Amino acid sequence: MTGSNNSALRVLRSMWLLVVLLLLYVPIASVVLASLANTRYMRFPHRVWSLDAYAQALGTYTTANLHLTSLSIAVAVVIVSVIIASFGALAFARYDWAGRKLFRRLVLLPVFFPQPVLGLALLLYLTALGIVPDWKTAAFAHIVWVVPIVTLVISIRLYHYDVAQEEAAFDLGATRLQVFREITLPALAPGIVSGALFAFLLSWSNLPISVFTSGADTTLPEWLYSRTATNYSPLVPAVAVIGTAASAAIVLLAAALRPVFTRKR
Amino acid sequence: MTSLPVALLLAAGFLAPIAIVAIYSIMPARTFVLTGSVTPENYVAAFTEGYWRPLMWSVSGALLTTILCLLLAWPTAKALKSLEGYRATFVTILIALPIFISESVRLFGFSLFLMPAGGILAGTMDAAFDVSIGSILNTRTAALLGMVYVHFPFVLFPLLLGLSQIPEEQREAARDLGASNWQLMREIDAPLAAPGALIGALFCFVLALGANAEMRILGGQSVTVITHAIEQRFNYAQDWPMGAALTMLVIAITALLVLPVFRRIDIDRLIRR
Amino acid sequence: MVEASEPRPGILSTHGISKSFGELRAVDDVSIEIADGEFFTIVGPSGSGKSTLVRILAGLDRPDSGNILLRGEDITATPANARPTCMVFQSLALFTHRTVGENIEFSQKMKGVARDARREHALRMMEVVRLPREYYARPVTQCSGGEQQRVALARALASDPEILFFDEPLSAIDYRLRKILEVEMKDLHRRTGKTFIYITHSLEEAMVMSDRIAIMRSGTLIQTGTPHEIYRRPESRFVAEFMGEVNIFTVADGRLAELGIAAAQIEAPYLVVRPEYLRPAGNGDADFRFRAEVTNDYMLGSRTQFHLDAGGTSLVAELPALAAAGIAPGDVGEWGFDRADAVPLAD
Repeated sequence: MTGSNNSALRVLRSMWLLVVLLLLYVPIASVVLASLANTRYMRFPHRVWSLDAYAQALGTYTTANLHLTSLSIAVAVVIVSVIIASFGALAFARYDWAGRKLFRRLVLLPVFFPQPVLGLALLLYLTALGIVPDWKTAAFAHIVWVVPIVTLVISIRLYHYDVAQEEAAFDLGATRLQVFREITLPALAPGIVSGALFAFLLSWSNLPISVFTSGADTTLPEWLYSRTATNYSPLVPAVAVIGTAASAAIVLLAAALRPVFTRKR
Repeated sequence: MTSLPVALLLAAGFLAPIAIVAIYSIMPARTFVLTGSVTPENYVAAFTEGYWRPLMWSVSGALLTTILCLLLAWPTAKALKSLEGYRATFVTILIALPIFISESVRLFGFSLFLMPAGGILAGTMDAAFDVSIGSILNTRTAALLGMVYVHFPFVLFPLLLGLSQIPEEQREAARDLGASNWQLMREIDAPLAAPGALIGALFCFVLALGANAEMRILGGQSVTVITHAIEQRFNYAQDWPMGAALTMLVIAITALLVLPVFRRIDIDRLIRR
Repeated sequence: MVEASEPRPGILSTHGISKSFGELRAVDDVSIEIADGEFFTIVGPSGSGKSTLVRILAGLDRPDSGNILLRGEDITATPANARPTCMVFQSLALFTHRTVGENIEFSQKMKGVARDARREHALRMMEVVRLPREYYARPVTQCSGGEQQRVALARALASDPEILFFDEPLSAIDYRLRKILEVEMKDLHRRTGKTFIYITHSLEEAMVMSDRIAIMRSGTLIQTGTPHEIYRRPESRFVAEFMGEVNIFTVADGRLAELGIAAAQIEAPYLVVRPEYLRPAGNGDADFRFRAEVTNDYMLGSRTQFHLDAGGTSLVAELPALAAAGIAPGDVGEWGFDRADAVPLAD
């Protein structure tokens, strides 16, 4: 291959990536642009650019309530799924045992499953059990879907982990508890942090499962979904931006605190 | 046994609901108990009363989405792989980030962009170039674009993982043995990236099969997809057994595709780097 | 070599220990006596059960039957963390999220020893294994293979064990470094005076370091002895062949079947001759003689190896450089060996 051919290819590839990125971010930018209006109807470009919608959004009870519901679900999902998935990851990636192959397939199944169908099935199941859906059932539904993913995330970090380290610690006089605290937990820690971030973001942004399992409570994505078709006002994109920014802020905060959780890497 | 919590969760939150749906699907129509006499009538109705239409829309939509995503993901993955060091990481993160922004936000943005007269695109064209353009919002095309937009990363990343596992020496060896660019792709890249591509395609198809929001936000009322049809059975028609039977059909299609692939592909090898 | 003229007191003994995994009897009725301060090596091919045996001795696995005595006290049920023994693992099992110092100090930290005392002890151990002091604060992941080996040794020694176990710690290391570490290991054994129980699949490695060697096959110890005994007096063809290339002849009707020559007064069914005892015997001075053609020669450094064809039977001979001069492939002549150098084998 000639040099000029090569550099032409490189330019072509960079252009392609640029186009892909542009297309991925155009809708997101559109939401931000739409939120900067103060008219009831969308007429872009806005005659007046304003932050009124944000002031209004931040002032309403609805916004706070939506965020609270989404946050309650996400926090519950993070805590429960990280604990369950940590154990799952140990079984998934670390130990060799008889049912491991079957277990792995079971873990992967919910990931390769249409989310709305999972939501519908859970709704029917909850109703059959006589449970009235609310944010707690939505949290449970999220957990069913998030735990396998977090298990995979933690597992990836565990593949390079030498189980003999635990035996060595035990052999050097550590008790079972000391082995867990000194060896197993530090090995899990980076995966747990990534897993917690995944769990939070996936729960926070989930629509297809929440729609069917949250009952009378409404999450942020659900509210946006219901307001996109009817009742449009700049408030809707403003709330979308606030919600997304909130999750980004939480993730950045977690990333900043990361060294605290995974000291001594 | 550290596998116990996950196994219990999935038994109670995944397998049990499917079992309940399966039982409902063979109960008499419009009943709400699990103890009625067993009947195949819902499945018969699923095929005779026009439900195959939404099912076909969903299947063909998912198929089309998967194909388009694969076609777009291949050059993107190759281009990403040719980037080096921190630039590669940066672009990869930029592409991954939107996954974590809610589908409803992104699809909403898509519709704002496409809105006729006053939408971001139409408004800009009008103001900047004094050109007024039509809109594809509320058409099947818009819904399909939305599907591709949402599911693209799910194909890209497994494919990227597959591609990254092709040893550069093998490509160099093939080139050294006289392979052209095209031959290199056909003989080395494609077969070696196949497991990743297959996982990505499967992921995309299964997720797209259940897709509902794209059609509602971008497709208007142009088409009813299967999840929407099921939802209607549950909510408005109050016919749980019928909804359950349709749900079982979607689950069956999913299982038919997923299980054979699971048997073939070594997840261990794909994840381990 | 200081051969024990007076019997050393025993430190570890096992009595009929067995362990099965499903159908497989990994360790089958093994009884050994190991003397205090001994360098004892268990050699066997992969799958012979040697790793299972050492894991049982270290307390990481429990035997199905039999017992283990440490200085006469039954420790069969004592878990690894309560035994005064320590193991160096095949993977080394260094704690990858810790520094060199933290690895070495681990056992002391578990005992609750104060930080300063731990540090001092760790630095002393680093000196013992010849690891520079400045490595103390370095992450173990930044150490080379040989350095990691030393960290593992220091970590094991820091727990002040009575017995150190080694599960093939040198198997993943390249040839030259392995040779250096073998010598260091033997040196360390002499300086510390501790009992070393070493597992390897390489008899060559075992020969270099050990006071005594046990050969393991299919879960049982088939021969135990000094390196000299194992080399000169193998008790079975398995042991003879394990050491490297040998010539094995079948004895039938008072003749060596392969060569068709008389072998009076040899009762055993097999006769083993090591390559270095086969030599040209043109002047008729060997006890057993036969005609053979040289088919190939291989330069081994100070010696040369010849492949011979004796009437269809392939044989191996090794001669010192001087004696090998002038012998070339294609030469046909008389070769032979002496009765004293041939080992009769029952099996």
